[in-house]
Amino acid sequence: MGLTLAAASQVTSAADSGFNLETVDPEADRIALQKYFKARFPESEISDYVNGIYAVDAASREQWEELEEFPPYEFDVEKGEELFNTPFANGKGYADCFENGGIGIRQNYPYWNKEEGTVKTLEQEINECREANGEKPLKWGKGEIAQVSAYMAWTSRDKEFDIQIPTDDKRAMAAYLDGKKFFYAKRGQLNLSCANCHVQGTNIAIRADLPSPQLGHVTHFPVFRSKWGELGTLHRRYSGCHKDSRSNPLKPQAERLRNLEYFQTYMSNGLIANGPGARK
Amino acid sequence: MRKLTTSLCAAGLLAMFTSAPAVADNHADQIALGKAVYMGKSRGNCISCHAIDDPDANLAGNQGPPTIAMKTRYPDKRKLRAQIWDASKNNPLTIMPPLGKHWILSEEEIDAVVEYIYQF
Amino acid sequence: MKKSLIIAAALALAPTFAAAESFQEAFEMNRAMYGTDHTFAWNGKQYTTTHEEEVEARVKPTKANAEALIAKAEAKNKEVAELGFEWKLTRGIIKDAKAAVAEGEYQKALDLAAQAKYHARIGIAQYHYAQKNWHLSVPQ
Repeated sequence: MGLTLAAASQVTSAADSGFNLETVDPEADRIALQKYFKARFPESEISDYVNGIYAVDAASREQWEELEEFPPYEFDVEKGEELFNTPFANGKGYADCFENGGIGIRQNYPYWNKEEGTVKTLEQEINECREANGEKPLKWGKGEIAQVSAYMAWTSRDKEFDIQIPTDDKRAMAAYLDGKKFFYAKRGQLNLSCANCHVQGTNIAIRADLPSPQLGHVTHFPVFRSKWGELGTLHRRYSGCHKDSRSNPLKPQAERLRNLEYFQTYMSNGLIANGPGARK
Repeated sequence: MRKLTTSLCAAGLLAMFTSAPAVADNHADQIALGKAVYMGKSRGNCISCHAIDDPDANLAGNQGPPTIAMKTRYPDKRKLRAQIWDASKNNPLTIMPPLGKHWILSEEEIDAVVEYIYQF
Repeated sequence: MKKSLIIAAALALAPTFAAAESFQEAFEMNRAMYGTDHTFAWNGKQYTTTHEEEVEARVKPTKANAEALIAKAEAKNKEVAELGFEWKLTRGIIKDAKAAVAEGEYQKALDLAAQAKYHARIGIAQYHYAQKNWHLSVPQ
């Protein structure tokens, strides 16, 4: 009997998307997640998930579409463009730090940096660019960093995410797995995983709020959130969410949060960059 | 483990005789406390997921089943208490926080919320 | 489909392997149903549903005792923080406990320190549970 059970569990583990470094299979994760949402919301197109909750909730979509007619982030994109094009004290600028002069590259972030052995995010490289040119780094959550990021996202609209997990460096897969684990592990005094709200709990009311689907989560960042009344970065949102589980939240750009972004963005491979976005 | 738990037992029994628990004697007070816990955002916040037919309940969520027919669903009030204390015992993936196990609410608050919802 | 069949099969087999209820399970079930200070029997012996921290708070309410339990809570919370599973309110509770000491409210300080230490201990258990079970909610 024990043998039968062992054999049976082997059958299931061969079919799963991998929970350790030997078996983890990002493509299987991505496909399974799409399948999950297709089953939950058969009417919604996968490509529409870049619009978050509005992809699955017709009632709030109309309001949101009205909001997008005069997007609240418009000023921030303009300000971001201005900041992006203002030279640093040494005469150089953001364009000198990035591929293609920083235009149309949002969809390549985050990426695995083999030399540094870590996941790099766009905001991280914006600040590294500043520091390399003798400027002070910006605060991670909001303000100028979000504006520069918004402008860079704006120039990348409609480009498809195609996050790579290089196979020649095991640490890249380990970072992906760490992000996946972070997303699905229950934590905090409220014992909540990200998945509790953003997979199982998607589009089911918590008081008057409808949690968004994890698929397409990162595509529209940075985001102008009505609740904030301003633009903010993905990691600002991560800290807030983490805190909502009654955890002592990680700081923006902490390694684990960058790993989470790596995992989440891989889940959105094939979807387009549509940042900045507007959300409730 | 055994040694520790035996001493727990002794200390617990001792405490039973020495400290009177601060339970609301008055049933109406207890129900009022239960209601405050049910509605309060930084307390139980039950309303965020469970609709309830109380005129003071507004904008209830629906992550969990509505608080209705509690006596039929939980003929044994102790089972209802246990479900609130730790819903993850029956469903490890549940979104419902373990209100007792994680000491989100005090034991008195849990007793009170049980009394409050048992009316519905 | 295949998976649910296997689970059903495993459940059908379960009674054969059913282990005796662990002390932890018995304790939690009784605490869940009856709250604190309830007496229950397990493997022929009597126990109560009192958390170890609640017992630790039932000492003479003196400054020294309160400070000792606060120090224990801080150490436990440091442990859970290192695992990345620190809870949001714990530091605040410890701070309140220290404020109570300063006010001379030693029993209050003991009770708060007990709660903080409990939170940290359960956070550590949550970390270990997550290591083993995080995969359960991954869509397949």
